[in-house]
Amino acid sequence: MTTDRAWRTAALLGLGALVASVSSAQQSTTPASSRRQFVTCPIVRDTRTQPCWLAEYEGELYYLGQQGGVANDFYPPQLGHQVLVEGSVGQGRVCGGVPLQPVKVSVLRELAPACRTILPAEDGIDAPPPVPAPRGLAPSWVRVDSAGEVTLYFDFDSDFFSLHVTIALTNLAKHVADSPAPHIAVTGFRAATRLSSGQVLTERADMGAVRARRVADTLVGLGVPAGLVTVNSPAAAQPADGLNDPWNRRVEVRVR
Amino acid sequence: MSTRTVCAGVVSCALMIAWAFAALVPIRAQSESPAQPHTAWIQAGSDVVLPPNMTFENGLGRLGVLNTSGPIDTKGHPFFEAIGSNSRACVTCHQPANAMSVSVESIRERWRITQGRDPLFAAIDGSNNPSLPQDQEASHSLLLNRGLFRVGLPWPPPGVSPEFTIEIVRDPEGVNRDPVYGLTSARPTVSVFRRPRVAANLKYVTSPDGLFNVKLGVLMEKDPDTGLPSSMNIMADARAASLAVQAEAAYRDHQGGTTPLPRTQLERILAFENQIYVAQAWDARGGSLVEPDGPAALGPANVARHQVHVLNGPKTPAFHFFDMWLQRSPAADPRAEFRASVARGNDLFLNRRFWVKDVAHINSIGLGNPAKRTCAVCHNAQTSGMDLAPGWVDLGTTNYPTWTEAPVWSEASDLPVFRLTCRPDAPPHPFLGRSIYTADPGRALVTGRCADIGAITMGQFRGLAARAPYFSNGSARDLRELVDYYDRRFDMRLSGQEKQDLINFLAVL
Repeated sequence: MTTDRAWRTAALLGLGALVASVSSAQQSTTPASSRRQFVTCPIVRDTRTQPCWLAEYEGELYYLGQQGGVANDFYPPQLGHQVLVEGSVGQGRVCGGVPLQPVKVSVLRELAPACRTILPAEDGIDAPPPVPAPRGLAPSWVRVDSAGEVTLYFDFDSDFFSLHVTIALTNLAKHVADSPAPHIAVTGFRAATRLSSGQVLTERADMGAVRARRVADTLVGLGVPAGLVTVNSPAAAQPADGLNDPWNRRVEVRVR
Repeated sequence: MSTRTVCAGVVSCALMIAWAFAALVPIRAQSESPAQPHTAWIQAGSDVVLPPNMTFENGLGRLGVLNTSGPIDTKGHPFFEAIGSNSRACVTCHQPANAMSVSVESIRERWRITQGRDPLFAAIDGSNNPSLPQDQEASHSLLLNRGLFRVGLPWPPPGVSPEFTIEIVRDPEGVNRDPVYGLTSARPTVSVFRRPRVAANLKYVTSPDGLFNVKLGVLMEKDPDTGLPSSMNIMADARAASLAVQAEAAYRDHQGGTTPLPRTQLERILAFENQIYVAQAWDARGGSLVEPDGPAALGPANVARHQVHVLNGPKTPAFHFFDMWLQRSPAADPRAEFRASVARGNDLFLNRRFWVKDVAHINSIGLGNPAKRTCAVCHNAQTSGMDLAPGWVDLGTTNYPTWTEAPVWSEASDLPVFRLTCRPDAPPHPFLGRSIYTADPGRALVTGRCADIGAITMGQFRGLAARAPYFSNGSARDLRELVDYYDRRFDMRLSGQEKQDLINFLAVL
């Protein structure tokens, strides 16, 4: 298992510097016609360099991203599982597919044994140059509005903390330690997503609560006094609009 | 100066004394000692002085053992004394000659010499089932054939609500259905069988990776004594957050300790464990492995001097550099040929990419499944070959269908088989789903999580030549079988020469 050492050091030290790299707002300005949201089997294509990840929808092959490390923004899908793809159509072709950028991919929980396609390397189809890990926290995982106002994003039906989320939580705990008598409000949301087909997928009923509890427990594990933390999770799923659905699967942490 | 040395038991001592006299070499505490046999056995309660540098013969060459704190007198030392109630000591299962583990060859030798009466074969974990007649070899077949000790774990784990149920599918030894020791006994217990891990080079094993387990996005467990994050790499199922926890548990579970282990004894055990380094030091084909201009990874002194927690990378390769061995001599030179093979093996280990697939906690953590990676991506800790992050992964050795056991019913296996069924609301195992057949649930017996079923913490790569068999279930009798498993598991399509290069590389570590 490999990780970027800089990230690891940052996590160890809880460097507040990463807080300074505030991500841009995730609100999509993409027209609905350019939006693709679908569930399918992912496809991996071998190349002379890094494998590329693709997905087919309505006869078109889309490029999702390439193999990297856990410090990268893009976490590739998994063969053996279907994947929920939520992205906006980009220009040209990459690795034989139309790029979706930005794109969010969620590995669906249950096994899908039919999802086993590995395409061989082909002359003329190459992976793009390796994508360096972002310098700050990746916007698809974390939004930092201020040191005490952080939103964490999740894959569909998942409470997995990416490396970016763990660093954000470390920074939050440090901020709390530096704040006089703070109160920390943790609010976990579950959400629905509207597929391009019109179908709506809704996360499990307890997903918001599970996310919020995990975030709160982790903050406490990082030294935040439990008595300072309140946890909430609306029971209703955030409604889907087919455009901004990935950003509804979130936990908001507010330090006041 | 003491004239005592490594020998214990009537027969082995007599042999060693005879050998010493024949060679007219006094055996004494000194900075260097002559190589001793692979089966040189230190029995609990031995009265010997271990010199700081020891060498032991093995089938491929010689193992070097370095005690960085100088000679150590075993008399009265709690690592070497039977401080529990069953005549065992720590050293019983962590023998210097076997790279601080214990090899099947040594185990068989102990059986032969003692007719099975050595405390090594204690009923509680040195037999397949404590309820079997203990004087029969068949009752100890897993230890004698695979080097496996029984590990009985409470089920469910204390304080855990498991995500799965356990059914016993096969129980060749009867221990999991045993009315006293089994799953339905008054103290419900799951018995699995595992190899003892290497109690040396531990600065690499215990080096923590940070606050988080970056693979799973969860906080590391903490050392209960220091409050600092644990490496979570000490045991096969990572159930001990520190060496102290491991030592106390081993004292209780393997040595029959019934009273608390005194702090002074615990500290002496830990101090000894932290000053011992092992590595192969001489190869029968490659000669000395510790030459001044030789590879910086080899030999115990090099293992002792390197920094911990260095991530494999182009400038910091997992086992440093072997370039000086790549040059071939003009004339046919078997030693140079062997060394070149080792260097090629190192190169394969670092650079040969293949599809790593369906490995829980590698392919399920954001790296993609499959991932086109190398051996050193997972075995990424420089000098040890472990994982800097907590290294429990489901490589597939214990779970059907990729397990190392017989693939069809007609080929009997001597390991138990369990069927684990995950609750509908729990996350399933990422690549095996909700109904899993396994010979060892691994980490899942501690966490109760489906995703951990079959996950075993990878072990270090040092002193391999002295401590066969390999894998936690002792299924690879030699390095060829180990390499063959990876070749099959990941369809690596290694050539015969590539396999041999990897074997030679592993043999000198």
